[in-house]
Order: sequence, then C-alpha cells, then structure tokens
Amino acid sequence: MTKLDFEHRQSGHCESGVTSNLLNYHGFKISEPLVFGIGTGLFFSYLPFLKMQHAPVTSFRVWPGMVFDRATKAIGAKTRIHTFSDPKESMDLLDRTLEKGIPVGLQVGTFHLPFFPPEYRMHYNMHNMVVYGKENGSYLISDTVIEKPVTITYEDLMRVRFAKGAFAPKGRMYYPFEVPSEIDLKPAVIAGIRKTAYYMTGVPFPLIGVKGIRYLSRRMRNWQKKYGEAKASYYLGQVLRMEEEVGTAGAGFRFIYGAFLHEAADVINQPWLRDISFEMGENANKWREFSYVGSRNCKKRAKPEESYDMLADMLLDCAGREEKIFRKLSKIR
Amino acid sequence: MENETNPVYKDERYGQSRELFYFYEEGGKFEKKVGYHPDGSRIILQQAWDLFNERIEEAKQKALAGKVSPVVYYMEKTLVSPLDLSMHTGISLWRVKRHFKPRVFKRLNDKTLAKYAEVFKVSIDQLKNIE
Repeated sequence: MTKLDFEHRQSGHCESGVTSNLLNYHGFKISEPLVFGIGTGLFFSYLPFLKMQHAPVTSFRVWPGMVFDRATKAIGAKTRIHTFSDPKESMDLLDRTLEKGIPVGLQVGTFHLPFFPPEYRMHYNMHNMVVYGKENGSYLISDTVIEKPVTITYEDLMRVRFAKGAFAPKGRMYYPFEVPSEIDLKPAVIAGIRKTAYYMTGVPFPLIGVKGIRYLSRRMRNWQKKYGEAKASYYLGQVLRMEEEVGTAGAGFRFIYGAFLHEAADVINQPWLRDISFEMGENANKWREFSYVGSRNCKKRAKPEESYDMLADMLLDCAGREEKIFRKLSKIR
Repeated sequence: MENETNPVYKDERYGQSRELFYFYEEGGKFEKKVGYHPDGSRIILQQAWDLFNERIEEAKQKALAGKVSPVVYYMEKTLVSPLDLSMHTGISLWRVKRHFKPRVFKRLNDKTLAKYAEVFKVSIDQLKNIE
C-alpha cells in the first residue's frame, strides 16, 4: 500500500512526458518540449523494407528509450534501467522500488492495455507510462495520453510489460533516483540541438533525415502506378498515422520541437533561436496541411489536383524548409 | 484545428478520449490544448480499422471454406503478421506459415495448439472450430 505524491500531467509525447513528470517529481522543474529537445527526440526515417501493420515503416522519432537516456544524462541525473527475463522478478522489483518512494517509468505494449483508447489498440510496444503507487492489489498509473490517472491489475500490468513481438519491452523499467536541484541547461540544450541537426542533415545514408523525406517523396509519386489505388491509399494512410496518431502532439513532433526551440531561446539566452522556432512552427503547419490533404485523399474526397504528385511536392517543400532550419541550427555554439 | 466535440466513428467506442496537442499560430505563439483528435486523424484511423476488419472477414470466409487453417483467421483477428505471430508463439516462422495449410493444421498436437490458443486467447476447441 503505497501512494506517492505524483503529479499527473498530460503530454503530447509519451516518453518525454514521462521523463518530464518523473524529473518533476524529484523537484527538477522541466517542461515536456525541453526534455524532448535535449533528448534529441526529433528524427525522420522511411524504411520501405520494414513492414508494420501491412505498410512500410515511417518514423518521426528516435528509438524508444533514447529520449529518457539522453535527457537524464545531459542534466546529470542518476538513473537505473532494468530489463528482465522473469516476469515475477520484474514485478517484485517494481514493488520494492515503489516502497522506496520512487515512481517508475515502464515501457509497455498497447494491445492489451485495458484503459487505452480502443481506436489505438494495435500492437505497439513502445508506449511509456509511470507507476506511482499500489492500492488494494492494483497499480496506480499515470499515462500521459489519458486525461486522468488510472489503475491496472497485477495480471494486466504483467501482460503488457511482457508483450511480445517487434521491440518487445521485456519488462523494461527505468527511473531517476538522484536529480540535481539546480543546473545550467546551456550545454545540454546546445548538444541536443547539434545532435538533432546532425541526424536531420548530416547522416550519410539516404533513408534518414531530410534525405529520407525526399526519398519518401520520390517513392510516393509512383505508389499509385506500382501498387494500385487501394494499396497506395493505405500506404499514404500509414505515413499519416505515424505522423498524427497518438503521442506525436501533432505534425510528427514538429510542433513540440518548435516549442522547444522557443523555450530554448530564453534558457540559453540566444534570441535568434526564437526566429528559427517560428520557421519550425510554419514548417509544422505545412506538415499539418500535408496530413489534412492526405487524409482527404485517403477518403477519396480529394480534388483531382490533390494527387500523390501534389502530396510529394508538399513533402519536398517540407524537406527544403527543414534542411534550411537544421543547417542554421548546426552552427549553434 | 482541434475538435471540441468528439469525431463520429462507425464504431462508437472510438474517439472518446481527449489528448494534448501542440499548435503554432502565425505571429509566433506555441500553444497546447486538450481536445479530441481532428477529423483527419479520424479518417486515417478508421482506414486502418477498415482494412483490419476486411482482412479478418476475408480470412474467416477462407477458413470456413477450408482453404486456409483457422490460425490465419485468428492471426488476422489479433492484428498480427506471420512474423509477429512467430515471435509471440515462439514457433519458427516457416513452421507458422506451414500451419496455415488446413492439412498440416489438422495433424498438430495439443502442445502446439496450446501455444496458439494462448496467444489468441481462445480455448483449443474454439481454435479448431471457428464460428
């Protein structure tokens, strides 16, 4: 019977929300966008050879776990990360950690998560949430997607922690236990921005970053001819689902990154970042427009000129904007 | 752009939750608001579920006609791919694919069937005879 005094705050992206809430509990006030930016959350990759839910994988974010690792390391917090092969052991350690008064972040699969909105209940093993207590045999959960804190039974929690399939969580649990109270965020912010700029413009591989967006745009032009109407529409839908669906805070994390740059301008006292954050905001709005037109296309309500060619052009436009933004950002000192 | 009312889905369990979204307004203001997801998301989410339901129905017809084994039907019903199914059951991929054939499926022992039944959350009886 433990219940920690944990403040549940809803957030746009599950992992950075969880990290920010956990740090907040330990008295380190940090907003979600700041965690996201310092943890180098923004990314783009298009992997046509990997299929997820019958369509190629498009990713707008870095690997799961990275945001927490990088953000906590950058601010000098001491953390523990565990994975398990034995479910029983993982639950015992969870109980013991809670009794010590430390809320715990968990990586879980969403398919069997009982309180999750049913429209999102597909096999997705990279969801994150916080356990902050145990009452009458069920656990108290703060899930950043849901408005209010919720509860989950022992059996259900064990099942979602050991969901199988791609990116299986293996009971992964993580928590900071020693957080510095005051720290200069400047080096952390600068390092985070540089790394993201490198990911988006510098990686010498065609499927990643700005090059990846251009590649997707090239492929998209041929979808209709290559796969036929139905499949092309579904592939487009998959890109949009990755971009807009739960946990992206809209426009494939571009809004949240813009908010980060806006906040960072004050934190490290470099006003030019604010102008770039506006560019990022406009870029995000373009992405939003892309998904809007795209979804109309999926519903076959598009006007004739709103074809895949037009969508591909919109992607090229976004790629151009992002290249400009990140070339400027890579010069940050 | 966010919706004040919930979007209407074919399935009425959907679209009941409110999420946090970030916005940018011209003139340089980032804001966050809690709301139902926009209409565009509704369309693309429904599209995914439509495809899943279509595949489930198709697999069901084929399984009832004896063209494929019930494993295919339950696989679609739990929304997994053959590779996922192999990871979930711990049976190698080529064996899983072989079990798609009714002829091979009929000869499966209870131990293997139990593995499938556990993943699909049905009894072995239900696994053998789909309704």
